[in-house]
Amino acid sequence: MNVSLNWLSTHVDLKGKSPEELDALLTFAGVEVEDIKLSGVPSDKIVVAQIKEAVQHPDADKLKVTQVDAGEGQLRQIVCGAKNYKVGDKVPCCLPGADLGGFVIGETKMRGVESKGMLAAASEIGLTDEEDGLMILPEDFEIGKPVKELFDHDVLLEVEVTPNRPDLLSHYGMAREMATLLEAPLAELDIPSREAISTAGVRIEADEVCPFYTAVRISGVSVKPSPAWLKQRLEAIGLRPINNIVDITNFVLHELGQPLHAFDASKVSGDLVIRTAKEGEVFKALDEESYTLETEDCVISDESGTALALGGVMGGLDSGVSEGTTDVILESAYFTPSRIRRTSRRTALMSDSSYRFERGVDPAGVAKASALAVKLITELAGGTAEAETISVGAAPELTQPVTLDLGRLDQLTGGSISHDEAAAILTRLGLNLNDSGQWDVPSFRADLQRHIDLVEEIVRVKGLDAIPSRLRGTFVPASSVDHDYDADMRLRERLAGLGFHECQTIKLISDEQVADALPLKPLREGDTIRVSLPLSEDHAVLRPSLTPGLIASAERNIRQGASSLRLFEMGRFFRNAGGGKAKDLEAESLAILIAGERQPGNWDTATQHVDLYDLKAIVQAMLPGHAIQLNPREREGFALGADIQAAGQNLGSFAMLTPARQRQIDASGPVFIADLDLGKLRKLSAVTHEIQDLPQFPGSTRDVAIEAPESLANADIEKALGKIKEPLLAGFECFDLFSDPTGEKLSADRKSIAYRMTYRSAEKTLKTKQVDQAHQGILDQLAKSLPISFR
Amino acid sequence: MKDQIQSTQTEALAQIEAISDFRSLEDARVGILGKQGSLTKLSAGMRDVAKEDKAEIGQLLNAARQTITASLDAKKEALQSEADAKALEGIDLTLPGRSVHHGSLHPLTIIRHEAIGILRRMGFALADGPEIEDEFHCFDALNTPEDHPARNEKDTFYFDSGKLLRTHTSSVQIRTMEGGKPPVRIIAPGSAYRRDEIDATHLSVFNQLEGLYVDADVSLGDLKGTLEYFLQEMFGSETEVRFRPHFFPFTEPSFEIDVKLHAKGQAPKWIEVAGCGMVDPDVFDSVNGNRKDEAYSPAGVTGFAFGMGLDRLAMIRWGIKDIRLLIENDTRFLKQFA
Repeated sequence: MNVSLNWLSTHVDLKGKSPEELDALLTFAGVEVEDIKLSGVPSDKIVVAQIKEAVQHPDADKLKVTQVDAGEGQLRQIVCGAKNYKVGDKVPCCLPGADLGGFVIGETKMRGVESKGMLAAASEIGLTDEEDGLMILPEDFEIGKPVKELFDHDVLLEVEVTPNRPDLLSHYGMAREMATLLEAPLAELDIPSREAISTAGVRIEADEVCPFYTAVRISGVSVKPSPAWLKQRLEAIGLRPINNIVDITNFVLHELGQPLHAFDASKVSGDLVIRTAKEGEVFKALDEESYTLETEDCVISDESGTALALGGVMGGLDSGVSEGTTDVILESAYFTPSRIRRTSRRTALMSDSSYRFERGVDPAGVAKASALAVKLITELAGGTAEAETISVGAAPELTQPVTLDLGRLDQLTGGSISHDEAAAILTRLGLNLNDSGQWDVPSFRADLQRHIDLVEEIVRVKGLDAIPSRLRGTFVPASSVDHDYDADMRLRERLAGLGFHECQTIKLISDEQVADALPLKPLREGDTIRVSLPLSEDHAVLRPSLTPGLIASAERNIRQGASSLRLFEMGRFFRNAGGGKAKDLEAESLAILIAGERQPGNWDTATQHVDLYDLKAIVQAMLPGHAIQLNPREREGFALGADIQAAGQNLGSFAMLTPARQRQIDASGPVFIADLDLGKLRKLSAVTHEIQDLPQFPGSTRDVAIEAPESLANADIEKALGKIKEPLLAGFECFDLFSDPTGEKLSADRKSIAYRMTYRSAEKTLKTKQVDQAHQGILDQLAKSLPISFR
Repeated sequence: MKDQIQSTQTEALAQIEAISDFRSLEDARVGILGKQGSLTKLSAGMRDVAKEDKAEIGQLLNAARQTITASLDAKKEALQSEADAKALEGIDLTLPGRSVHHGSLHPLTIIRHEAIGILRRMGFALADGPEIEDEFHCFDALNTPEDHPARNEKDTFYFDSGKLLRTHTSSVQIRTMEGGKPPVRIIAPGSAYRRDEIDATHLSVFNQLEGLYVDADVSLGDLKGTLEYFLQEMFGSETEVRFRPHFFPFTEPSFEIDVKLHAKGQAPKWIEVAGCGMVDPDVFDSVNGNRKDEAYSPAGVTGFAFGMGLDRLAMIRWGIKDIRLLIENDTRFLKQFA
């Protein structure tokens, strides 16, 4: 909302208050000041000057060299490009040093001719003028006088009023608040009362939307432009003057906060009827748009059934005041906030009126605003108002007495605000302590309904600065969320330590991206959750897995030239677990992606692409102490799909992008992804077991190179080794793999795979012979169970 | 014999002196002191030495062995230091180090961890709740009337089921109070959703940090002290903090909190960082209604709540001008947090 300081000053004395002070005053009253604009002539060095002579510039067709009298005792030479003046005109002259909002006028040469200042257009010195070119000032303006003194200047405050304070949505309301805060007097409103009332001429058929409606008929008005003072008021807050009647209704709205509407009486046949709209009724509004109404909406109609206005929102195109209007019917009413809000939102039609009605106007202001408008119309547009105001229904009573619990006040404020001061603040706000010890609340403060609302007012006016800070707190135990968070941070830090960048992707993805999802449990029809009204199809589905986001991030990075990618993300994914019914599952997972070069480029090593064993190693690093297995499991849309298994459970899924998908994202090599169940990972990664004692005696190792068919997997050999019961075998690890596609060193369909076996006894240091014996025993058993030989 | 010893020693020393590699040195050692070595052979001649001369010759032999051994050791050391020096010759210290991957935590994780760290020191425990919420927990229980603008489907993501994506983490307040009795002292970081078009300052999915403290006698002084302390830990102990009265449906009184930011090359300015307030008694009543008890009777407990945008904190901390950088995961951006 725009607030003019000049306008405010008609109600409360703000002399000597700088814009900064007013900003602070409002800010700490809970009104956000978004912008402060100064209007009017900024500088004292802009003076009235008379043009005495104007001759053609010797070297520029479009410039003239003028001699002006700025009241300095001698003429001043200024080069000027304007054309709209004649010698003898008075114009604003910016003397050297005049500051036009950061631009300072100086003495200069224009095309070789000296120019000592600038003759100004209105817009250049913060004023408005209908003409282009120099601002021609009235002849009676005194030469040499600062222009500033001859025009109003104003401060415009752009404020944001919170929804609980509709009483501030007017200049009077804002002035009343400032008077309270400044402990300054508030000027009395000069509004004649109109007590005579009739009920004929208006029917309310929709009192749930419009419980109170008043109208005054004014005959014989002449519609014409408003006087300068009224135009100036409206223009100051950014409104365009239209005609005296419309301008007056706008003025009263911004003066008192009560929206009004003026109908052309000749367009109304018979009584005004306030009714709900018919389903599908079409209403053509002032903005020249047609709106299809519903039975929830309220229209102001007449006996003919035509909708003249959309109640509380906007007038109709055909029933408003125009130049030919002679009789007007002036509406002032109270509309139910929730109903106006509904209509306004549904039709996307918002006006200064609906803005105020949906927040709630002061029911007691309805008659007052009407009376002020009637007074102004008869003063400015002539005509005669009927003595009786048509008044139907009753202004709702929205306030009730409220008890202030002083004990609670003391508790909340730590006793820092005395009871006397609290009472003084409430009194200044217009509340009144009644005989039963309760506070009567004025009609314009319907937001004050409860004890705590009064406390809020006291604290707001007093300021939180007055309440001393207290540093203390109750001890509470850590929650399961704390433990999970700590486990997650350890995993995050481990991955960052392993060279991974943590990503954060948006949780709403597109339908297409769902194909990139790699959840532990494959998705079925109806498993994804879609928002009803997405902002765009790119963000329509809650991610069922974290991999789509990571793949999109990889794509982005590959496109910008990243050669090596190590990415991970941790967070929630979503799934409809009810087979189409709304049974939503939210769980957390860890997704990891690697692509590109294994190591960032080095000067002494050849670059190598990552392969699946790199990602497997990373997964293993998440669970030291647990053997990770990849159990092949086909994944639609992926290659090398596998379940990640450890400690006998499925922890997540593993896959490579298909070569086709890989090409789509411009990756030059394979891209591997894994999605791990974070809940399981947290449990397994917690070190809860007792530690193992260190071996007392040294172990011995023996290497064995096994020649086996290509098809024999490491897992088959490990499984066979696991079955052999040799008490001295303490462990084994695969340390070499060799194959020769040319068939020269080894038949092409065979491979050599080497293991290092460790032998150890818990009782003694083993002798060579004992180790050899045990080792040979193992080799013999292996050769029996597998199609292998030893090299 | 004496002469032989002398000449063997002289010869040996000369031989050792001339050696320039480890292998020759070892050969020389064997050739002089080994089983068939020249001095060893000479020692064998002791058998033939007259008994009265044995002591003297023995001493001479021992002295020769010691001298030669010392010479061998000295030579070995000399050769070793020569080799050591040679090994370091020609190394280019100016070549770049071998590259390794430098990983990083996401800036939001960093700022969240820092905020959580401060609040945990102050005795807050973590809590969370679902992101797919119902209207009761997201709005009704938080005293937000049915026709409140935030509940419009233009501003909030709804599902056909009638559920919605929570518009703030404040729903966790309700979940926590429903699940346990006072005292409650929790913080809840998490995602929230609003139907905002994504641009340089808006995301439709953003990150908040919620806080709630409910106990007997929680006051405005506690609210103020807690948040001042938190923000000064976050932004520096000299940071000015101000509380502007504001309006939220679920707190009364309510405030917005600004900190005065001194960015390099800019005039200091107040920046809004959080909203807070005393828990509205209506919120306690809603919770009691759902709990079917009076554990949170407004007559018995009071509390404060606060919420802040973590994305915003990250933008302020690192001067991030476009919020989209936080979800694009461009590694050129992420690497700056390594």
